Amino acid sequence: MPELTFTPVIGIEIHIRLKTDTKIFCSCSTNPNDPPNTNICPVCMGLPGSLPRLNHTVVEKGMLAGMALNCTVQPRSLFFRKSYFYPDLPKGYQISQCDLPVVADGYIEVHDAEGRLKKIRVNHLHLEEDAAAMHHSASDGRLEGASTSYVDYNRAGMPLGEIVSEPDISSAQEAVEYAMNLQRRVRYAGASDADLDKGMMRFDANVSLKCSDGRWGRKVEVKNMNSFRALERAIEYEIKRQKKILLSGGEVLQETRHWNDAKGVTTASRVKEFYRKFIVEPDLPPLVVGQEWIDKVTAMMPEMPDVKANRYVKDMNIPREVAEVLTDDKNLAAYFEACVSAGANPVRAANWVRTEVLRVLNERGQKIADFTVRPEVLAGLVGRVDDGKLSTTQGKEVFDYMCANGAGLDDAVRALGITEGGIAGNALADIIASVITANPDVLEEIRSGKDKKGKKLKFLQGLVMKETKGQAKPQEVAEAVAEAVK
Amino acid sequence: MELYELNLWMLIEGLKAGKFTPSEIFTSCKKRIDQCEENIHAFITRTDDNPQPGSNPDGIFSGIPTVLKDNLCTTGIRTTAASKILGNWKPPYDATAWKYLKDAGAVLMGKVNMDEFAMGNTCGNSAFGPTHNPNDISRVPGGSSGGSAAAVSAGYVPFSLGSDTGGSIRQPASFCGVYGLKPTYGMVSRYGLISYGSSLDQIGPFARTIRDLQLVMSVIARHDPMDSSCFREKNPDFTHHEDVSLKGKRVALVKEFQDFTLDAPISKAMNRTCSVLEAEGAVLTEVSLPVVARYAVACYYALAMSEAHTNLERYDGVRLGYTVKDAAGVKEMFEAVRSYGFGSEVKSRIIAGTCLTEPSRCDEYYVAATKVRTLIAQEFARAFGEADFILQPVTPSLPGKIGEVDEDEMKGYETDLYTLPVNLAGLPGLSFFTGYSGELPVGLQLIGPRWSDPALLDAGTVLERQLGSPRIANGGVK
Repeated sequence: MPELTFTPVIGIEIHIRLKTDTKIFCSCSTNPNDPPNTNICPVCMGLPGSLPRLNHTVVEKGMLAGMALNCTVQPRSLFFRKSYFYPDLPKGYQISQCDLPVVADGYIEVHDAEGRLKKIRVNHLHLEEDAAAMHHSASDGRLEGASTSYVDYNRAGMPLGEIVSEPDISSAQEAVEYAMNLQRRVRYAGASDADLDKGMMRFDANVSLKCSDGRWGRKVEVKNMNSFRALERAIEYEIKRQKKILLSGGEVLQETRHWNDAKGVTTASRVKEFYRKFIVEPDLPPLVVGQEWIDKVTAMMPEMPDVKANRYVKDMNIPREVAEVLTDDKNLAAYFEACVSAGANPVRAANWVRTEVLRVLNERGQKIADFTVRPEVLAGLVGRVDDGKLSTTQGKEVFDYMCANGAGLDDAVRALGITEGGIAGNALADIIASVITANPDVLEEIRSGKDKKGKKLKFLQGLVMKETKGQAKPQEVAEAVAEAVK
Repeated sequence: MELYELNLWMLIEGLKAGKFTPSEIFTSCKKRIDQCEENIHAFITRTDDNPQPGSNPDGIFSGIPTVLKDNLCTTGIRTTAASKILGNWKPPYDATAWKYLKDAGAVLMGKVNMDEFAMGNTCGNSAFGPTHNPNDISRVPGGSSGGSAAAVSAGYVPFSLGSDTGGSIRQPASFCGVYGLKPTYGMVSRYGLISYGSSLDQIGPFARTIRDLQLVMSVIARHDPMDSSCFREKNPDFTHHEDVSLKGKRVALVKEFQDFTLDAPISKAMNRTCSVLEAEGAVLTEVSLPVVARYAVACYYALAMSEAHTNLERYDGVRLGYTVKDAAGVKEMFEAVRSYGFGSEVKSRIIAGTCLTEPSRCDEYYVAATKVRTLIAQEFARAFGEADFILQPVTPSLPGKIGEVDEDEMKGYETDLYTLPVNLAGLPGLSFFTGYSGELPVGLQLIGPRWSDPALLDAGTVLERQLGSPRIANGGVK
């Protein structure tokens, strides 16, 4: 009997917080740092008689995110009421576009197990409102069994885009690459900050296994993954779990499971899925997006990271690996491009940014936006090293000094006592003269011809180099000292 | 003559001419309320002990008393929708329509009775007990805006606001003998109106003359960014025209309705009104509305209940209103709050709405109803290619005795056939006074195409000129 093989079939739903100043259906602030229940109004509290009104910036951010995922804007989309009872849902229903979304039919690429590029289709992105945040007193942080629960309605009505992939993903690694690529692209588009730690990006994965004997396990929805690592581990765990069941001839139940990050397992949800039904949201007219609006948003779309990386490779001769590092973060790429605009050689600038700038940022746990050395300053430094005014070692010293002290380029050079272009001519002659004067016995030995192997001469040359702090060219020093002792 | 007997436009003109003062009007109206309220029971909450002055002394309604149906939110004043579930809730904001009135100087005398969450047509489904018809206190005032109609009819106030989801302005206006306008959907902002069927609900005025309706509409029918369905390029003109004519206007009867039985006073009123229209030079014609006649009632209830049950999901005891503190868990709290808080009519509509939208049935009922609704709107649009207005009854009968109507619930639903289609198509409908049958007023309904509200009220001016205006009801005072 041939050994059974299993092919994972995975689809991912990703919620991203769309980046707007105000909520999706009212003008309350979206600032996540404000105290609980301060950014609320009759609309996001679902008070009787209040009505939602669509924030058009949310629509634009949704369109931008969709375009970043190669989706097409739908000329007409609708909002629905998605009903369930829970204290975090002020109206008892969530307003969501469900399956008539504002953008649809896109894809992004990942690498498969063989390293080939593979398209993961994006079914759609739909707009919806977030629910309130709940804090329960129970030890496991759930509502059941908690003696007290607190609701923070600041989060109610925050704008979300839910991005639904087709089940094209075949491994946990592909899933993570999909999610990371998606995060990078929506960040590029300015649609979302997609910060996982701030809950601005959340994952649900649908995992099932296709068995080589024709059996197909039922779809299991896994929730509660809050990091890329958790996404990867949860999917891997779920594949293993389902494989074991299918191998033993058992049946995989269609259910929702929760990822427990501490224990590294998924557990069946204790609460039965809320029974949901949709009706058209009568308080919002259909969302009609005309060509003019699409054109306007298209014009707002920046260059996407893959296109940008290709351009760096093709037009600037930057190695692909470096180009990919530089384009991973939109702001880093912008920093690099500003260096180049300020006149730096692209390949050199790329190396500086990739090695020195990223090193300092990593050491300090900073983001490029917080970096104090301006790109035009770095461009000046790269130029001086290129021109030989500074040695590479000096260049790095100057860079570190600027990072540490917030100094400008010239100030850093001066503070480090560096003479640009090195010490030569009269300055070098003066140093040599003083070194010789200070060592009359050595000079005597050389002149008397005792220094057959040239050791004494090398000794004097070394002293001169030390005095110049390495700023003179060794060849010049050697020649000048040899000349001076004659 | 007492000041409370004056119509809205007379009060405005009298105030302007300095014939009397706002406080004299207030005192007269308050006295009238004190005199009749025991018989009528129109109020849920009276605010005339602590009158809320209008915010603008120079406004067009400065010093004019009014009442609001208790599903319109009023800042700091209890708003109940006639339900126990809202408890003692005091909204932190004003409904836009009320805000516009307040900004024009109107003075709130109180919040008036209705069927719970506007579900009903008798004003008897109220957690606060029934309201009585001021023309005959043994009879219902109609509903759901029964309190608003009764208050104007009894002379408490010269005008009031109500809401109409399937006839809730037009039917009580007709039962109480006042004019009531259900405006075009989107004409008046719904912001702050506690929703029943959101795609059907519309706020509108009650008054004792057409001219008064026009005055109120000129204040409340304005664009409001808070309501996405309240959109227009420019605000309509509700100026009153005394010399308006119906000459050459085509007024249609609905062919399919001609087979239905009407009580004698209603059919008499239809005949009389047709004669008046012809005498005024209007052309009487007929339109065919087969889908409306056959499917409107089923379609209406499928949609209204589907929307209603979601609109009522927010009443869970978490944020406001009635709540239960000692429930075992959150699910138990929801159950306890909703079991106690909602009345039986509301509960049955929630159950119906839940069933109609339940995933396995949704296509067959809710989705099908949305399609029928499109057909109904198209059918009316076609009819208004052939006619300027449609004339029809508001109800087939005069108001019943209190308690009587509730016995056969399905009959209650069917009597709405003349009013519901108007909401399904988002049309304006005017309930106008035609005369009395004994003590009881008899009203009829004139319908126009969408956004024809000013023209509809102009037609109402002609009808009022010929048929006469209603008197103030005796309010049970001998």
